[in-house]
Amino acid sequence: MLSCADFLAEFSDYLEDAADPDLRARLEEHLHECKTCQVIVDSTKKTIRIVTDSDSFSVPADHVESIVKDVMARIRDKKR
Amino acid sequence: MSYLREAELAADFAPFVSFREHFGFVPGLFRAQALLPRAIEAEAGIAAVVLLKQEALSRVQKEYILLKVAAAHHNTYCVTAHHHMLCSLGVPESQLNQIIIDYRRADISAADVALLEFAIKLGKHAPWISREDIVTLRNHGFTDESVLEAVLVTGLTNFLCTLSVGLGPAPDFEPQKVYCGETSQQLNYQGLRHGESSGSYLRAVEYSAASFPPFAFFQEQFGFVPNIFRAQTLRPDVLEAEAGVIRAVLLTEDLLSRVQKECILLVISAANLNTYCVAVHCEMLRALGVSVEDSDQIAMDHHQTDLSEADKALLDFALKLASRPAEFRLEDVNLLRCQGFSEEQIMEGVLMTALTSFLNTLQMGLGTTPDFTPKRVFTPKDLYPFHAQSRPISDAAPSEDPDAALVARVQNGEIDVFEELVRRHSRRVFAVLIGIVGNMDDVRDATQDVFLRAFEHIGSFQGRSKFSTWLISIAINSGTDFLRQRKPSEPLGEVSDEEEGFRPRQIQSWADNPEQLCAASQRSHLVREGVLRLPQKYRVAVLLRDISQLSTEEAAAALRLSVPALKARLLRGRLMLRESLTPYFIRTEKRNPDAQLR
Repeated sequence: MLSCADFLAEFSDYLEDAADPDLRARLEEHLHECKTCQVIVDSTKKTIRIVTDSDSFSVPADHVESIVKDVMARIRDKKR
Repeated sequence: MSYLREAELAADFAPFVSFREHFGFVPGLFRAQALLPRAIEAEAGIAAVVLLKQEALSRVQKEYILLKVAAAHHNTYCVTAHHHMLCSLGVPESQLNQIIIDYRRADISAADVALLEFAIKLGKHAPWISREDIVTLRNHGFTDESVLEAVLVTGLTNFLCTLSVGLGPAPDFEPQKVYCGETSQQLNYQGLRHGESSGSYLRAVEYSAASFPPFAFFQEQFGFVPNIFRAQTLRPDVLEAEAGVIRAVLLTEDLLSRVQKECILLVISAANLNTYCVAVHCEMLRALGVSVEDSDQIAMDHHQTDLSEADKALLDFALKLASRPAEFRLEDVNLLRCQGFSEEQIMEGVLMTALTSFLNTLQMGLGTTPDFTPKRVFTPKDLYPFHAQSRPISDAAPSEDPDAALVARVQNGEIDVFEELVRRHSRRVFAVLIGIVGNMDDVRDATQDVFLRAFEHIGSFQGRSKFSTWLISIAINSGTDFLRQRKPSEPLGEVSDEEEGFRPRQIQSWADNPEQLCAASQRSHLVREGVLRLPQKYRVAVLLRDISQLSTEEAAAALRLSVPALKARLLRGRLMLRESLTPYFIRTEKRNPDAQLR
């Protein structure tokens, strides 16, 4: 049986669905028994979902066009 | 004009007479070597048997290989020369252009398409060649003699491309646009060589060293006949010419020493992941008095040895020429001049680099087993991006890059096309910069600077990674430079083991639908604050993977980290974010009565 520390060591691959089937089975066995790790898995998955879906670092569309315009102007300026 | 001093050779210098007769002109690449007539003679010997002599493949098929492999290397000099030669062989320009743009749709036979596919793979991604590729060619009706010629012509192309980059001759004709827009074929990891092959792919004839002069020569010079030559016995004339090149380039000692030359062979073969050539040249260095341990260290990292500064500079020069030809400049030649190397010695350095590239390509195409037990066997793990900075081959199986066609057009001078690339990627670059710099001010200007830098260097982008990954590396560098100007900070690429040992503290259950607990604008505020509070190295990992949505491998490559190191930082960053978000999203009766109903 894996310890919580073992579980956390392999946690990264578990989250990304990259653990091989054998390891995955052992991780799930631990998870089944361990309330703490269940909470950590659940809340970390939700964290990733919230971070991924948030537009915390997005650029407004008109911003993009003005960046495009300025970059191209500077490039053409240099080429001249 | 080329990088090194040029000399005049008599009009009746035999190789030049032969070039004029066969090509109609003397290529500048050979004129640029007039300081070393013996090298030109040896090269003419190889060209005569490999390219000009009509045996299994036709001259046009061989020229196609030269053209397409040179295009895959973005080598304007060679593309221009062989475009001209194909025209003078009567291939209509329209068909030629079709082959250049997309040979798979050109009006050539399926067998010729397969032949070009093989040559491009061998020329650019040699470690992925396996016996299967040879079987494919046989299924298209190619005999072992033709396959051997295909391998030889591809090796010759890599030889000529390396020479032209190192010597820098101007194209002989109006330069052709180098366009290699076809996306690389998906390569199968199963076919990856493990350094131990089951033996030569092609049929060979047994010769004894006593009765076959080229073998007698190898036996006498090396004490054995290397398998790489035993695998080419279908063409005794080629072996003769190869012995001539080795005599003229490797065995002469009046300029560079034999040990210096063997070191070049060793270092570049290691960079090419060529287990065979590393084993052979470790053995040759041992015979010259260099211990196997020392050779191994030179192969792994010549900077960590007690070689002289001049020798280290020579190996840096050769490695750059072989691995990063797009970045090779006259300044690299000047660095050797500063170390006291003569024009002729520098030319030999270029020749040895080209010869190594030729031999490495041949070996990968022939699949010969090592003559000696290799001390170091290169395996797929050596292909990981972390080690791949200086490797000439791609660090992962090339995959489809949605930007490849646009990038190729910009590289060919269509400046306006760059606009679309800026539009596609500005959000991502912007996000990465905020993540590194840590605030929204200044980031707009920094984003522009990243694209200007990318445009300036787009000529050196060779498609070894995706364009987007390359761009993000630039953004990471720009962002880090910007921060460094304001306050000293830890480098992002630094390896550290403190990733271990972070343990989650908050273990309260989260609500089933945490998103319902606060408005989108508030969530985005919480995430922004949380991410910006993370230590820089974790912040960047989370930004690349979870916000910019790069794959783990792409994020690792952009940060020049190994995949496991990236994963460790990412996990740490995610867990820290989880800690900071937990107070807002835990399951409480007050906050979310719905959660209690379940």
